[in-house]
Amino acid sequence: MEQILHTSALMLEGSKVTLEIFLLTLMMALPLGLLVALARLSGLGVLRWAMEFYIWIMRGTPLMLQLLFVYFALPMVGVKLNDISSALLAFTMNYAAYFAEIFRAGIQSIPRGQYEASKTLGFTYVQTMRHIIIPQMVARVLPPVSNETINLVKDTSLIYILAMNDLLRVARTIVQREFDMTPFFIAAVFYLVMTFVLTWVFKKLEAHYAKYID
Amino acid sequence: MPNTSIDNNDIMVQITGLKKKFGDLLVLDNIDLNICRGEVVAILGPSGSGKSTLLRCMNRLEEIDAGSIVVAGETLVKNNEKGEAQYTTPEQARTILSHMGMVFQQFNLFPHMSVIDNLMAAPKIVKGQTDDEIRPVAEELLKKVGLYDKREVFPARLSGGQQQRVAIARALAMRPDILLFDEPTSALDPELTIEVLKTIRQLADEKMTMAVVTHEMSFARDVASRVVFMADTHIIEENTSQEFFRNPREERTKSFLKNMLD
Repeated sequence: MEQILHTSALMLEGSKVTLEIFLLTLMMALPLGLLVALARLSGLGVLRWAMEFYIWIMRGTPLMLQLLFVYFALPMVGVKLNDISSALLAFTMNYAAYFAEIFRAGIQSIPRGQYEASKTLGFTYVQTMRHIIIPQMVARVLPPVSNETINLVKDTSLIYILAMNDLLRVARTIVQREFDMTPFFIAAVFYLVMTFVLTWVFKKLEAHYAKYID
Repeated sequence: MPNTSIDNNDIMVQITGLKKKFGDLLVLDNIDLNICRGEVVAILGPSGSGKSTLLRCMNRLEEIDAGSIVVAGETLVKNNEKGEAQYTTPEQARTILSHMGMVFQQFNLFPHMSVIDNLMAAPKIVKGQTDDEIRPVAEELLKKVGLYDKREVFPARLSGGQQQRVAIARALAMRPDILLFDEPTSALDPELTIEVLKTIRQLADEKMTMAVVTHEMSFARDVASRVVFMADTHIIEENTSQEFFRNPREERTKSFLKNMLD
């Protein structure tokens, strides 16, 4: 029992790294994804094309490869980032692409009549997006965003490749040292607790927005 | 022509030589139409005659290919030397279009806002009015359309007729000089149609200038001051509503009325 408590304490430290990457990535990738989605839907051909290219690259290559690229290849062209910054850059760029596609689909699902009503009331395009379209879009994309967010919790385990001591790497280290599989189970419990909390938060958000959906 | 005696200053919307195409398809051909202050113009015609498109051209939901539209003396669009429609600057267009409000067939309320917020959104965001300024106005408008007790409810909880009355109040909250109605009762059950038409009739009594695309013959006859009948991209006939229904001149009009009133 004492052994389990001791292991859990070590792994709690690892969870801090996991949570840090998770929260910071989310805070940056969500707004960036929205900007990418808006740029992709803009009338500017160059901008739209650039965003499609960006999304293609980010979704078309493994996240692991992107992590390695940022950490090992960027220094060759003079961009040196420490491990946590590398991880944040790769995760944010990758997740922003996925969020952008979710947001784009959400924005495109809002009926034309909403734009027309806004226009006849005198709203500018920016006012229409900000006050009418995006708030409705948010309600509609909560389920897919919830999915991606849960994926992100688990994807953070990829940072072991940068030798960062996240939850999974701590567990693995203990397993290898003690020849005891318990840390794997504890890690699973930790991940499940995190995803449980997230699921609960998104459920609350959906309930909050449900009040105006037909 | 019934309106030739009216002073030019009283023309709220003046449309001349309007042409509109969707791709290669001509939907409005050489339309001339004036709407005067205080008038209620009913625009009638079979489906596909271009009546909704004409209304949508007035407030630039559709852009015209040739012709001119002048709203309250200000030119929204006119022909250039090449005979193509040339719109005024975006800022000026915005000012000109602020004279007009619109009510849609599908209501198009903002579903994420309560009824009162639907009314207050544009005055706050577009005109920069404060909550204190606009709330009493919005409440007054809701009382007028009989929905004051629903002010905190979301649109999804209202019947179609109630939603459409909120939509009318929302348009009025921007204090337009002219209201455009695009088949305001076509999505409604007959009994709900009555309450919406009652609201529009009330506005007519207050001398609100209105252009109403509709299939409601009795409304056109009883409320409209003038009827414009369209078919096949043209205005076939226009007259005071009394004369229009009593003595239709054109064959096309007669057969349409016969079909509609039988």
